Amino acid sequence: MAETLNPGGQPELRRSLWRRLALILAVVGPGIITSNVDNDAGGITTYSLAGADFGLRLLWTLAPITVVLILVQDMSARMGAVSGKGLAALIRERFGAAVTFYLMIGLVLTNLANTIAEFAGVAAAMGVFGVEARIAVPLAAVLVWFLVVKASYKAVEKVFLWACLFYVAYIISGFLAGPDWGGVWLAMARPSLEWTPASLTMVVGLVGTTIAPWMQFYLQAAVVDKGLTAKDYRIVRWDVIVGSVAVSVVAFFIILVCAVTLNAQGIKIESAEQAAIALKPLAGRYAAALFAFGLLNASLFAACILPLSTAYTVCEAFGWEDSLNRKFTEAPQFYILYSLMILMGALAVMWPDLPLIAIMYFSQVLNGLVLPAILYFMLRLLNDPMVMGDQVNGPLANLVGWVIIVALSLLSLAMVYLSI
Amino acid sequence: MQQAAKATTDATRFLSDLLKRRVVDASQGRILGRLQDLVADARQALPPIIGLVVAGPNRQRRLLPWSQVREIKGKAILVEAAAGSALGPVVVNPGELLLREQLMDKQIVDTAGAKVVRVNDLKLMQRGGQLLLSGVDVGLRGLMRRVGLQGVTEALLRWVFSYDLGENVIKWHRVQTVGSEHILRLKLSQARLASLHPAELADILEDLDPSTRSRVFHALGKEMAADILEETEPKVQVALIKDLSTAEAGDILEQMSPDEAADVLQSLDQRRAEKLLREMEYEQANTVRCLLDHDEETAGGLMTTAFLALPPQETAGRALQILQKKAPELDVFYYIYVEDEAGKLLGVVNLRELLSADPGATLGALMFTRLVAVDLEADPDDVAELFAKYGFRALPVVDQMGRLHGVIRFKALLAAVAPHLGR
Repeated sequence: MAETLNPGGQPELRRSLWRRLALILAVVGPGIITSNVDNDAGGITTYSLAGADFGLRLLWTLAPITVVLILVQDMSARMGAVSGKGLAALIRERFGAAVTFYLMIGLVLTNLANTIAEFAGVAAAMGVFGVEARIAVPLAAVLVWFLVVKASYKAVEKVFLWACLFYVAYIISGFLAGPDWGGVWLAMARPSLEWTPASLTMVVGLVGTTIAPWMQFYLQAAVVDKGLTAKDYRIVRWDVIVGSVAVSVVAFFIILVCAVTLNAQGIKIESAEQAAIALKPLAGRYAAALFAFGLLNASLFAACILPLSTAYTVCEAFGWEDSLNRKFTEAPQFYILYSLMILMGALAVMWPDLPLIAIMYFSQVLNGLVLPAILYFMLRLLNDPMVMGDQVNGPLANLVGWVIIVALSLLSLAMVYLSI
Repeated sequence: MQQAAKATTDATRFLSDLLKRRVVDASQGRILGRLQDLVADARQALPPIIGLVVAGPNRQRRLLPWSQVREIKGKAILVEAAAGSALGPVVVNPGELLLREQLMDKQIVDTAGAKVVRVNDLKLMQRGGQLLLSGVDVGLRGLMRRVGLQGVTEALLRWVFSYDLGENVIKWHRVQTVGSEHILRLKLSQARLASLHPAELADILEDLDPSTRSRVFHALGKEMAADILEETEPKVQVALIKDLSTAEAGDILEQMSPDEAADVLQSLDQRRAEKLLREMEYEQANTVRCLLDHDEETAGGLMTTAFLALPPQETAGRALQILQKKAPELDVFYYIYVEDEAGKLLGVVNLRELLSADPGATLGALMFTRLVAVDLEADPDDVAELFAKYGFRALPVVDQMGRLHGVIRFKALLAAVAPHLGR
């Protein structure tokens, strides 16, 4: 087989291996980066709360969430590779201006809530180091703004990605804490759900933080931006799967460690110091510092991406110039939107006596509420031959898609109903 | 205004305002369906509406010729009594446009402003019995009209900022559609894009989504494509080349200046680059290959080999003739370099001196011998300093033996040392 492909007659096994590796490296990225941003301040908080408040009882939800995450991200990536267009552009072209307008308002609000959560993360993390929010947050806002607008964000991104190795701390901590592994597997194998507002809100929050609405726009844009096409799709899929599983493994260990350390001692998380107790088995008295470092990195990483992704998405939907390569006068809407997101996110957190942990958590619940709407549009687009050509969704993918939408909607409705 | 719908003066209508209206039989008041789309004849300078796509009960789409329309009145479109039998299948011929399906919410190129924008609404003009497509609304007002909040937005802006929301409509003859393939083949539309500078076109291509981008790029022809490719950023270059067949890409690379072609090939993966080089004409491929041997971060990586070098015994008259003949393929024509048989750079004659010199004078006598040249391995920043100090348009590149290898143009240098300004 190799010979027929190689008219020269010499098997080029080693070279083709390198070539394949180079090809994979060229394609890999969007999925893994998206996943790492996914573990943001809101993410870490929500997982910590899930473990601290509910012990191992909600651990099982990660299994279905992972499957859904992979399926949804796979849809985004496939749509980007096949259509060569961003999700916002597709929604605008297929569903018109009015639908797009209201959807964008919803998305901007959700993303703003998430951005606030990121700055809350900065405040909480710097609080551990004894830096007050009114100093830390404006500094972080300026830093983020400059990193993206004036410096080369692409270079900074690598630093953020390496710093994400911090999550390994949770995994090690998980093993050191010496949980009753039998009990852990039992909790995974026996799903149970309490129909209480607190429990349902937590599940919606878990779903919302893991499968956030902005991710679909961001991932699809990243795939398009990288020039990936249907040909590269097999590798893109692996990128997505590896990224999604990585998110879930980290989430699994955060919940596990918090369950073993915090829940077992009956500690409620109200501050970053308390959340940091989860890292005690690994870091001992340095746990708080380690946790703060990880939270800071996650917050800053997402605080760069979220406003940027929002500005790109909205400009794409309304046909405004959207590029960091343009000057302010050439792309005013883009820069204003981007700057406003950061400004408002930072200002909101500066408000005195703000419950930081609660904000980070509820931003994720909001994600869970907006998500079904976006999935609905994605599913419609994936079935449109004008968009997907001969790569429209198969019946199985559609069935799964609808089940996800209905399940998420019911879950959200139940939460809202029980909360009232 | 409504009564005069099919008569007298020009009245303005927006597509968004017409869509979803009931199409009603004027004599019996029977509802045929709702207006779903309009068909316009895009071959005309001001495309007239030639048909209505009517969605009947059970969502069936049928086409009604414009001639059946009597007037647009209130919330309805009144049609002739016999219109029911004039309904036919929806057929769109080449050169015709479905306004809603193919234009609304899609990207278009505003050739006056040289940028890509999204269509918020379409402006129609009633003249005589005709409805003509006159412009494309790309403004906030159009967007808010679609959302149904035009009044609210206008009132709010006036109240808060004392700002009157103006209309932002691009005249139809300034619009280039990029949506579907059959439109692009029209000579007329192509001419609109062709009126733009390659650098503007490059910017526009960068703004389009990848699938549209490659379609437009394809339609522009090889020479234009080569000019555009020289102006785009590397990432977009790779994407554009990736979509072309090897033969097409090879042809386009041949049209480019060797240093630019080398830059493009450098950003492609090796196997693809090799294939393209084999596709190119032997001599040109060789030139590019030589350039590829140099590190991008050195003077050798910046230089072009499309310059003119002549022996010192050549006369000014002959040199001018040669220059005239070779000009189309030269990147550098302001300087003529003088070299000996071994290729050693002896001097340089600029175009002004050459034009004013006695045709019989030899280059050896005319040439300027106090040379400023850079080494093949020189750093781009050092090269930039020389450019700044002497104000040259181009600098020769030599090896350690003083042999001439190429010439760096100011443009290539600018792209290397200040990438945010170039491209």
